[in-house]
Amino acid sequence: MSARDLHLRLSQAQRVRLEAALHELHTLNPAAAAAAVNVADNIPVNHEDSILKGHGTSDRDGEVVATLCGVVERVQSLVSVRTLRARYKPEIGDIIVGRVSEIAPKRWRLEINFSQGAVLMLSSVNLPDGVQRRRTAVDELNMRSIFAENDVVCAEVRGYLPDGSLELHASSQKYGKLQRGQLLTVPAYLVKQWNQHFHHLKQYNVDLILGCNGFIWVGEHVVVAENTDVKEDQQKLAMEADNFTPIETRTHICRLANAVRVLSALGFTLTVELIIQTAEASLPSTVEINEMLGAEFYVQTAEREAKRRASSLRKMNGAS
Amino acid sequence: MSAAAAAAGTYTPAAEAGGKRREKREELRRHLAEDADWPRADGRSIHDCRPAFMQTGPTTAASGSAYAEFGKTKVIVSVFGPRESKKAMLYSDTGRLNCSVSYTTFATGIRGQGLENKEYSGMLHKALEGAVMLHTFPKTTVDVFALVLESGGSDLPIIISCASLALADAGIMMYDLVTSVSVSCLGKNVIIDPTSDEEAWQDGGLMVSYMPTRREITQLTLTGEWSDGKITNAVELCMDACSKLCEILRERLKDTAVLEENE
Repeated sequence: MSARDLHLRLSQAQRVRLEAALHELHTLNPAAAAAAVNVADNIPVNHEDSILKGHGTSDRDGEVVATLCGVVERVQSLVSVRTLRARYKPEIGDIIVGRVSEIAPKRWRLEINFSQGAVLMLSSVNLPDGVQRRRTAVDELNMRSIFAENDVVCAEVRGYLPDGSLELHASSQKYGKLQRGQLLTVPAYLVKQWNQHFHHLKQYNVDLILGCNGFIWVGEHVVVAENTDVKEDQQKLAMEADNFTPIETRTHICRLANAVRVLSALGFTLTVELIIQTAEASLPSTVEINEMLGAEFYVQTAEREAKRRASSLRKMNGAS
Repeated sequence: MSAAAAAAGTYTPAAEAGGKRREKREELRRHLAEDADWPRADGRSIHDCRPAFMQTGPTTAASGSAYAEFGKTKVIVSVFGPRESKKAMLYSDTGRLNCSVSYTTFATGIRGQGLENKEYSGMLHKALEGAVMLHTFPKTTVDVFALVLESGGSDLPIIISCASLALADAGIMMYDLVTSVSVSCLGKNVIIDPTSDEEAWQDGGLMVSYMPTRREITQLTLTGEWSDGKITNAVELCMDACSKLCEILRERLKDTAVLEENE
């Protein structure tokens, strides 16, 4: 998603404000300034420092030249170039959110913004009755009752299969089918790897799952029970089918989802705090939920982020 | 013929209009061969290239893709990779570049496959392999698929430039962007970026694929009748045009970059 996808029409005043905010963001992070680079561009480098040439760079007549189109990243003395449209690069143990695209013999195929589909084996999923046993032919025929096509599933990366596709597993209670919420797609590099990818926002009664592949789930909170009993499960399902999600929870879900959309359009790294702040900022100014995707809120979010980074930078400099 | 048609009671305006068109074209051809200042069919002078429209990202399923429209020639190139392939299973230090050029059945005026496209795949490969760093993706393959939607002349150079843009979009490491321009020798004049009519009339053709920043030519193709002096001039003309085209490609890539990087 990018600014183009939101189809914004900025008025002249808003355009000026947006440029000012983006300019401030660039100046706050001078390393990122002048960072976009094309193939065979010279990368500005201080020749007195010892420079390590990383991925995407090469040496030509003593100059450091880019071999990729992208953004220059500098980490101490390492200079490298990162491409923009990089697909998600899976690591073992990543938490992923995906959508079931196909049901194949003894496995589900999920779509996860990777170059190939991901495979979730029947044996890697908890059966509804909670018993650990060998999967029989009856289980195979009833796969659709566990996950059907187009269901949203949360799983963890187990490893790579020989043909290069990904293998997932969902063998803990916190993984599995996700219901009653929204699935959002953002560029994969905006979701960094942290300790926690499952966030339960108590004040809103909402679950927020940041999948490393760029799929984000915002949905009603689901109580994860330790031991499930078959009868209890069925009763709970029956109850849930009767209750609809309360309207407050639904408004919170929509606000958080829109906050994610705006942040990804601006290109900011997604952290839980930032998402919550953005969603809360929309409350007091009585911004209507659908106006969150409008031009005014977009510009305000950019300004707010610029201010926040400036103040945190000042605090750091003041402290040190 | 028209008397017989009139006697039969039918009216065939097309035959007569076709005659006038043919005459006009013959005249244009004669002028282009002699006059250095005569405007071409679309109003350009002999040293003007067609305005270039290029864009990245039309194929979302591919790793990288680009669309190019130069006058009537429309080309779309998709790049997949680096990915595994059965042919590349044997371990090799360098990766493989696999190029394929195909024409749609509606690309030329007559329905049916173009005959030159069998050579074009090989020529595209030769133009690109000098620029792509094959050693950065060992044991895998990068597939380049070029599809010509409409053929309006100067097809292969446009395919090469578009493929270069698509490779940059896909994030394949390259020494430099490759741009390509062709010229036609028609009588006394050297015409740059010919349309399909002008290509049909040419006495000789020259195509140059050039890496502007490194100032190296990756491929040079010469066909037909040329005299010595003209070849040197033509090559320099091509190199100059390639550099200008490369600027356009860079603008396009920078646009995509500016929109995305905002952290």
